[in-house]
Parts: sequence; structure tokens; C-alpha cells
Amino acid sequence: MNKQLQQFLTGRIWLREHTPFPREVIDAHIDSGHIRLKRGIESDKSTFLFWKLKKNFCNRCHNTNHSLFYKFHCARCNKSCVYCRHCIRMGRVSSCSELILWNGKHARGANDHVFDWNGQLTPLQQKASEELLVSVERNESHLLFAVCGAGKTELLFPSIYTCLQRGKRVCVAAPRTDVILELFPRFQKVFPKTTIHALYGGARDQEGFADLVLTTTHQLYRFENAFDVVFVDEADAFPYYADETLQRAVTKAAKKDAAIHYVTATPNKSLKTKNQSMLSKRYHGHNLPVPRFSGLWGYEKKLKKGKVPYKLQQWIEQKTRDKIPFLVFLPTIEILESFPGDLPRVHAEHPERKETVMHLREKKIPGLLTTTILERGITIENVHVAVVGAEQPIFTSSALIQISGRVGRSSNYPTGDIVFFHHGITHEMDRAKAAIEGWNKG
Amino acid sequence: MNCLICGNPFYSAPTWRKLFLYEVDASTCNRCYSKFQKADTAVDFLDFKGTIYEEAVDSVTALYAYNEAMKSYLHQYKFLQDVALATVFATDLSQLFENKEGIVVPIPMHLEKLQIRTFAQVDELLNSASIPFKHLLVKTATSEQGKKSKKERLKATPLFEVIGKVEEKTYILFDDIYTTGTTIHHAAKVLKDAGAKKVEAITLIKG
Repeated sequence: MNKQLQQFLTGRIWLREHTPFPREVIDAHIDSGHIRLKRGIESDKSTFLFWKLKKNFCNRCHNTNHSLFYKFHCARCNKSCVYCRHCIRMGRVSSCSELILWNGKHARGANDHVFDWNGQLTPLQQKASEELLVSVERNESHLLFAVCGAGKTELLFPSIYTCLQRGKRVCVAAPRTDVILELFPRFQKVFPKTTIHALYGGARDQEGFADLVLTTTHQLYRFENAFDVVFVDEADAFPYYADETLQRAVTKAAKKDAAIHYVTATPNKSLKTKNQSMLSKRYHGHNLPVPRFSGLWGYEKKLKKGKVPYKLQQWIEQKTRDKIPFLVFLPTIEILESFPGDLPRVHAEHPERKETVMHLREKKIPGLLTTTILERGITIENVHVAVVGAEQPIFTSSALIQISGRVGRSSNYPTGDIVFFHHGITHEMDRAKAAIEGWNKG
Repeated sequence: MNCLICGNPFYSAPTWRKLFLYEVDASTCNRCYSKFQKADTAVDFLDFKGTIYEEAVDSVTALYAYNEAMKSYLHQYKFLQDVALATVFATDLSQLFENKEGIVVPIPMHLEKLQIRTFAQVDELLNSASIPFKHLLVKTATSEQGKKSKKERLKATPLFEVIGKVEEKTYILFDDIYTTGTTIHHAAKVLKDAGAKKVEAITLIKG
């Protein structure tokens, strides 16, 4: 038995033709029963009266949306084949491709963990951290609700350490690559002896068996029955909620009796669990900045004509004059791209997103236009924020709460301007404002 | 409908032509589609003057330029094997072929390569536009053009062989991308040698 292969495949579900191991090695382990095969796509056919119903199911990403399956004549198996377009970026899974899973004894880590952390928790953080630890010890699901900038990551450390010590395999899943890249060095410092893997699209192959896996939720498609404990960070985030298969991916990646813990800044109804902790104050103890509403009537028409609405223009000029870095959130990429003027702008497909945000931090540029891509995870000292078109459906209450959470994160500048420019006030806007005011009252 | 490239929903207005004339519906949103850039310059092939390939091809038409959008399109279509993307250019291709007369001959793939890729990307482009074609060529060399220098490409022994009967008619070669032109010129030459009257070429992209 190949030990590296065992370490690699334990808990994973992988395309047979895409492993980092030579073909002969894989074949030999299939023959010896160490590797089990699964078909790529399961197809069910049934008829209802004179309708022919066809159901496809991708065994990797558990996608069942029929518009994301495509049928073609396959030259490899010389039959008509179906493939899944949903997870195609991880290598195409089609009817005639095979997925491999480890069938033998699972790999184990060295179980030699060191906890090197002496940070201070505020009393509120301490309380939440202890409550979480109790649930973790009981192996029960826990919802940790913490406002933006409360310092959530730190209070996970004691719980993660306890799990590792008991020989459990731990997963921390977050929605975006940026978050994983930020978490990785922090975890490496706190758990210096633990093998940690950071997984995201485009990550390099990492050796050995990881007791602790930091991963984007997307990469969980490639795991099955792998983790004893899963922490889902920013559980309310796009694309987690937008995509049902991502939720299924979390359950699929966890073992049957595993506890799944959620960390979120905007609790959603479907996330309520029995055990909950609340962290409604920021780590620096100041109140959350409350958004103000300002009518920007007919902004879409104005922008289409190539003019910046007067109020918005004033706001931008004011911030530029005061040398305060600012973010302007826009509802769509089209509006972002056609926004008049030469302010720098970023969106999801922007190749230099990180660099542009760095420029804003270093004050090389006065401000930044962005889509909701920057709604979470970024911290810029003393940033002020405007949302344009806050009434549009993309700005849900949770998105608006996240966006407001960009302001006043540092203890040097705990306040700041957050304004929702709108063409009519929606319930979502009211809900966001009410929630923030509610937390401030404590 | 959802855009095949970005996955976002988009609205395409119903028209009478779609209802009665089987006009194909767009498969991408306007934003993604507008990123493809029409090829502006005519394709010249002066490099082949003085070689044995001179006058093998009578004309070359390319539809699109090779830009970032096209690069990522080709990546997803050919290397991630997203066959569905063949339909993106269906309307363009059927319009282009509508006023051309001749027998369409797609540039073939080597059989081993076809096994690995699981589909013939050039044929699928034509299929999606419902353009009838005839396989008259077979690829003999396995090595990829993209990995060779221009000199090597010119020297190479014939890349194709003719199968089937070539008549004294007009043939239209079709390929996905025209880079240095070696593939097209090799193919055109074997067709001409077999008796073709005229050989035109159409490619989706000018590399």
C-alpha cells in the first residue's frame, strides 16, 4: 500500500484521471481493494404518462439542476454522455468518468499538537468561546453569532485545539479564497506543529495528511465523509446561500456523526440551532456605525447618461478633499463599468483585485468603486462607505449589514460615515438598520 | 435563460423569426458576448510565397480576434472540455456559411487526441450551427502545432491525407483558430493535389 496515496485520498472523492499519482499506482490499489470506484454521473430514467423524465445527479458536487447538465456524443466511450457543468472547473465529470474514494484504513495524523497562543479575549469573547467549547465537547452543533469586527477567528482557537488533541480531523470552511489566504498564516502560527492544508482554486498540492484543513466551501465538493468537526465561517455569505449545493457539500464532507458549527454575522432563519452564542459588541467596545438613508432619485437614468448624480458627486468630492479613503458599492457590473470618471474599480473578474485594494490601504488612490465582491472580509482603516442603489434586490439585509460592517473596524477610528443612497426604501434596508441599532442597544 | 459563459440569468426577447424560422436563441448574455472582438484585418498569407504551399489556399476568412475573452473561452471549451460552449457562435457561423458555396471540410483531429478530448471541437462548432460537412481529411501526424516553431511547421511532412473522393469543385476548410496558417495550408495543398478546383478557408479566430 502506498502511504502517500492513503494520506492523499483519505476523505476525498477524486477524478480517477486527475490524481497526482501515476496511473499504475492507482490501478494497483483498485485491484487490491484499497480504492473504491464511483460513477461520475448517475442517470435515472422514468416515464410519467407520455413524458420521459430524466434525472441526473453529479456524484462529486451533488448537483441536480438539469440546466447544468449537457449531453454530447462522447468519443471516448462512443455513446451519448452527460457531464456536469456545475463543477467543471475542477475537471470535467461525465457519465463515463470514474471517481475514486479510499476504501482501506484511513490515514491518521501525527497527533502532536502545540497550542501557541496567548492573545487576550474580551469578557464577551471569552464567554462565547467557552460556550462554543462546551458544545464542541458534547459534539453538538453550535451557532456563533458575532457582529462584523468582533474578532471571531480568535475565539475558535481553543475549540479547534481541543478537537485536534482528541485526534479529530477538523475543517474550517470559508466562502472566499481571500479569507483562506488570510487565515492560513494565522493558524500556522497558533498551531506550529500541526499539518495544515489550505485549499482553494489554484492551490498547490500539499503533502502529508492534514489534521486541520482550511478550505473554500467550493473545495468541499472534493471531500466525502472526511471530517469529525466542521466550522463554517461566514455561513450567511454569498455564494453559500445562493447555492444549495454548497450547503450539501458541507454535510457531505462531514462524517455522519460530525458536529457542524456555524459562525455568522447575520443569522439566517435556517441556521438556528439549539446552542447559540451572541457577540454583539466589537472587540474595541464601540458601537457599530448606523447607516443613514439618502434619496438619490433616478440615479440609474443619470448614470446611463454618463453623469454622476449631484449628491453622490458631492459625497465623493468631500471624502477626497478630507483625504478619507472611501468605498462606493454599486449594484451591477454594468453600472460599475460604465460609471463616469476615472475612479479605480474592482469586480469579481478583475485580475488585480488584491493590488487595487492594497493601493487604497496605502492611500495611493482616494477611493474605490466596487460590486458586492468587497462586502466582507476586508479591513481598511478609517474607510467611509456609500451604497448606491441600496434598494436593488442584490442588497439583501445581510449584504447591507456586512457592508456597514466595513466602517469603524479599527480602535483608532471607531466611527465613520455609512450612507445608503437609494431610489426608494426597501424592507431589507429597514431590517439592516434595525438590526444594527438593536445590537448597539445590546 | 442563463448565460453559458458567466452563468447569470439573461433575457432574450421572443421574436417571430425564432418562432417560425427556427432561428437559434442566443446562448450568452450581451455583456459576455460583447467582449468578443470581430477580427478587423484581413488574413494575409504572404509568408507562404515561394514555398510549395503558394496558391494552395484561395482565401481565408476569420471571424474573431484572439483577445482575453476568446482565450478564456477556448480554455473552457477545449481544455475543460465544456462541449456546451460550441453553441456560443452558432448564429455567427450559420450566417457566414449561408452565402458561401462549397463543400465544408473540417480540419480533423488525430484519433488518439480525440479519445483524450472526447469530442472534436471543430466538428461540434459546425454541428451547433447545423452546417453540413464532409470528412475528407485524416490527420497523420500526432504532434501539436502549437508546440513548434514556425520553421519547423513549414518543414514538416504533410500533416493530412485525403480519404474519399475529391471532385473538381470548391471546398471550404474550417478550423477553430488560424495562427501561422500551416495547418490550413497543408490541408489545402492535399485537397488541391487531389483535384479540388478552389479551396477557401474559414476559421473562428485569427490568432
